[in-house]
Amino acid sequence: MLKLSLRTFAERWQLFVGSIITVMIGVALVQSSLLILISLATYEPPASIPMLQQIELANAYEGGIALLGVTTGFSVFLTAFIVSSTFAFTVSQRRQDLALLRLVGGSRGNVRRLLLSEAAVLGSIGTALGIPFGLLTMELQTNLLISLQLVPEGFTPDFQFWIVAVAIGVGVGIAIAGVYVAARRASKVRPLEALRESGDVRKVMSPGRWIAGLFCLFAALAMTILSALLPSVGAMAVGINAALVASIAMAALSPVVVPLVARIFGFLFRGGLIGTLAQANLRDGVRRSAATAAPLLVLVAMLLAQWGSSETISDGAAEQARRDTRGDLVVSTQGAAVPAIARTSGVELVSPESQVPLTSTFNEVGEVEEPEEPEEGEAPKAPEPAEVITHKASAVATAVDPVAYQRTHVVPMAEGSLADLRGATVAVGAFDTEQTIKLGTMIEAKIGDHPVKLKVVALLPDSIGGGATMLLPRDVVPADVLAAAPTQTVVHLAGGADQGAVVDKLREQGGEVTPMAAWLAETSKKNDQQQTKISTVVMGLSGLYALIAVINAVVIGAAARRREFAAARVSGLRRSQVVRMALVESWGVTAIGLVLGALAAVTTLIGIGASTARITGSGGVTIPWLMVGLVVLGAFVVVGCTSIWTALSATRARPVTLIGARE
Amino acid sequence: MTTTVNFQLPQQAPAASAVELRGVSREYGSKHATVRALNDVSLSFPTGTWTAVMGPSGSGKSTLLHCAAGLEQVSSGQVFLAGRDITFANDDQLTDMRRREVGFVFQSFNLIGSLTAEQNVALSLKLAGTRVDKSLVRTVLANVGLADRAKHKPRELSGGQQQRVAIARGMVTRPAVLFADEPTGALDTKSARVVLDLLRTMVQTQRQSIVMVTHDPAAAAAADSVVFLRDGVIVDHLARPSATVVAERLAHLEG
Ligand SMILES: Nc1ncnc2c1ncn2[C@@H]1O[C@H](COP(=O)(O)OP(=O)(O)O)[C@@H](O)[C@H]1O
Ligand SMILES: [Mg+2]
Repeated sequence: MLKLSLRTFAERWQLFVGSIITVMIGVALVQSSLLILISLATYEPPASIPMLQQIELANAYEGGIALLGVTTGFSVFLTAFIVSSTFAFTVSQRRQDLALLRLVGGSRGNVRRLLLSEAAVLGSIGTALGIPFGLLTMELQTNLLISLQLVPEGFTPDFQFWIVAVAIGVGVGIAIAGVYVAARRASKVRPLEALRESGDVRKVMSPGRWIAGLFCLFAALAMTILSALLPSVGAMAVGINAALVASIAMAALSPVVVPLVARIFGFLFRGGLIGTLAQANLRDGVRRSAATAAPLLVLVAMLLAQWGSSETISDGAAEQARRDTRGDLVVSTQGAAVPAIARTSGVELVSPESQVPLTSTFNEVGEVEEPEEPEEGEAPKAPEPAEVITHKASAVATAVDPVAYQRTHVVPMAEGSLADLRGATVAVGAFDTEQTIKLGTMIEAKIGDHPVKLKVVALLPDSIGGGATMLLPRDVVPADVLAAAPTQTVVHLAGGADQGAVVDKLREQGGEVTPMAAWLAETSKKNDQQQTKISTVVMGLSGLYALIAVINAVVIGAAARRREFAAARVSGLRRSQVVRMALVESWGVTAIGLVLGALAAVTTLIGIGASTARITGSGGVTIPWLMVGLVVLGAFVVVGCTSIWTALSATRARPVTLIGARE
Repeated sequence: MTTTVNFQLPQQAPAASAVELRGVSREYGSKHATVRALNDVSLSFPTGTWTAVMGPSGSGKSTLLHCAAGLEQVSSGQVFLAGRDITFANDDQLTDMRRREVGFVFQSFNLIGSLTAEQNVALSLKLAGTRVDKSLVRTVLANVGLADRAKHKPRELSGGQQQRVAIARGMVTRPAVLFADEPTGALDTKSARVVLDLLRTMVQTQRQSIVMVTHDPAAAAAADSVVFLRDGVIVDHLARPSATVVAERLAHLEG
């Protein structure tokens, strides 16, 4: 049987090469992201560098880990999505061949085994190519991360031998799993279909497809609602996945939309021959149209969801900073310079915020279970001791003057009050993403080399884009640590003071002075840039992969249409007309992919937008219009060019040579 | 047209018939419109003979052939193939029948394009679970006059040659019945003649049962007998037909 499929290779090479490429790139992406992730996760900052830098480095790595976690997740999702849809598509394209096999006595089992063993072979070849290709990808991805300064210079991920097993699992496993359903379906092909030109006469929307599509749609909506309600950290994680689940839903349900879009196209091109033909082809090839739209759909969904939500978040953070911060100037110095700033004439109030390294341990105390009522004659049971989990963490804390801080940051605490931030106390914010810390928790900390026990007196409100990790009163920080700490001081000018004169004086004393508005703008710009970098890492290679899959799907779709094109030419169409017909049709498919992809992205954007609006109390979704424009333009150009190219090559032979013989 | 042809039907499927239809009807269509492609057809095709099925286009010839070969479910009635009732046969049983008891030749040649003539023929044997005997394959190809084309792919063969490969493939498993739907439909007169002679030889030398749908009187005249269909009903029957008589009857039916 396998020999038959290898024989078929020569005839249907586009299908097989397409399948191999999707597996190869998928394996490479997953392998590369995973290796980088593991290397980041096992990294220990060198003990020789100063504490603050150690913690900052560790934080950078932690950010990298989170980022690569998302990137790996996206890669796995895309690989599964693209490989399985490509394989299923190739199977459906060979329906007539398979019916013929059935006609000459092939059993359902024969067909299934043929397709599954084929998937195993293609998956293996793809994996074998994907592993070395993955090393190249890893180089590329690492360079990207370093050049975007998301990981430190000199970071090199290590190759792990177990990754080969993962790669095989991903490549071969997904190929076989992807083909499994398609093979079961294809094995039910009726032998009579070998005699018809009509292709797959069965309904594209099988009950299974409906159920899967609707299930995913509801799951995506549930995730949207959930992300609107979650705190900012969880909102992003859940929200971004809503678009992924929604794109599965859209891909499953897309055949329903195809006739609709075909009708719109028919209306737009009414009267014209090419338009009429393209409309008919769209409708008639629902499966092909849907399969071609699928990778484009997921690409659009991921791009818009990722870019849209990161812009929404960075705009939200900027908005929040603008709303919550009061002051005229921001001065960046070391901690030691703060008294001099305060003494400068024309300065009414200074609120210094110094970055100090802190390592800590604290205990999370579980719920205490009430002992059960003792039974008659039994001794009363002792209460179960509550479970205690000890956490260890390091962070960069912000040392503040609580009174001044409250005048420069007008934001109510989630719990407790900054008024109590006196002595050995702490207010906890983004430090505690898992929300295990309660008011009154004691944190054993080391600031520099000085051990202190800090009581939690306030919990900072949720904040978009992180916010302060923890606030300490300046007086618990040892003077030497404080003096050396990088410090931003928010300055209120006295009434009637000349801002220019004060700025000049502060600059003379040494220090970077920025007016508040400019400082906010700069911070927001830095934030934007950081978000763009993150999106580039998450979507860059995955996006390329999805783009290749789009091209692939167009090529595979056209490969099986040589005879159809030949028939069109025999009935009097010129070659250029056939190519134009294919082009118009492919743009119909592009429109379907774009619209459905955008719809899928909307689930994410609504969730993230609602969450941002709730936390900042204002604002909403930022739509990345530039990205939208580029995506729309790019999709039409790429799909259009591919379709022209494939139609040209499919019509290269003189039509008569194709009409007679079966391919 | 009021001619009704009654065939005497034995109660048991006799070994003498390769295929037998009893009161077979086949309807197509949806809620809105049903087409009765076959309407209560009873007919038996005797073993070792070649029967042609004729009729105007759309009269149900192909449907008859598909039902007789187990490719299509009947709406009512019974179908016996090689002595077995296949009316309610499941897919495995039908697959088994296709492997051992029936061979097909169709108008469009239905060879697997990626396989050579030889491999196309061998595939049938392989699926039938028989050890592939290279010399048998060669002999069968030689019988259809293609000994020197064994290594050619379908697209490198003429229509007539492709059809002969299809016949070789249909025959190599020595099926009880060979079903042919317009086997000469796409061929020129000369190639058609070669194919018909080939079929005639098989009937004479191997007592091969053949059911052939055709609209070509010359092809029908090569058969042992002809049945005529119109609107899904058998309306006429001719034994030892001549091309002229067949053409007349057909013209009468179409007129
Ligand atoms: N799969 C099908 N679905 C619906 N109608 C069909 C189908 N196959 C055949 N028919 C109808 O049944 C009738 C007989 O068709 P067929 O047996 O192919 O005719 P013939 O081979 O004699 O030209 C025709 O009216 C045809 O339209
Ligand atoms: Mg017919």
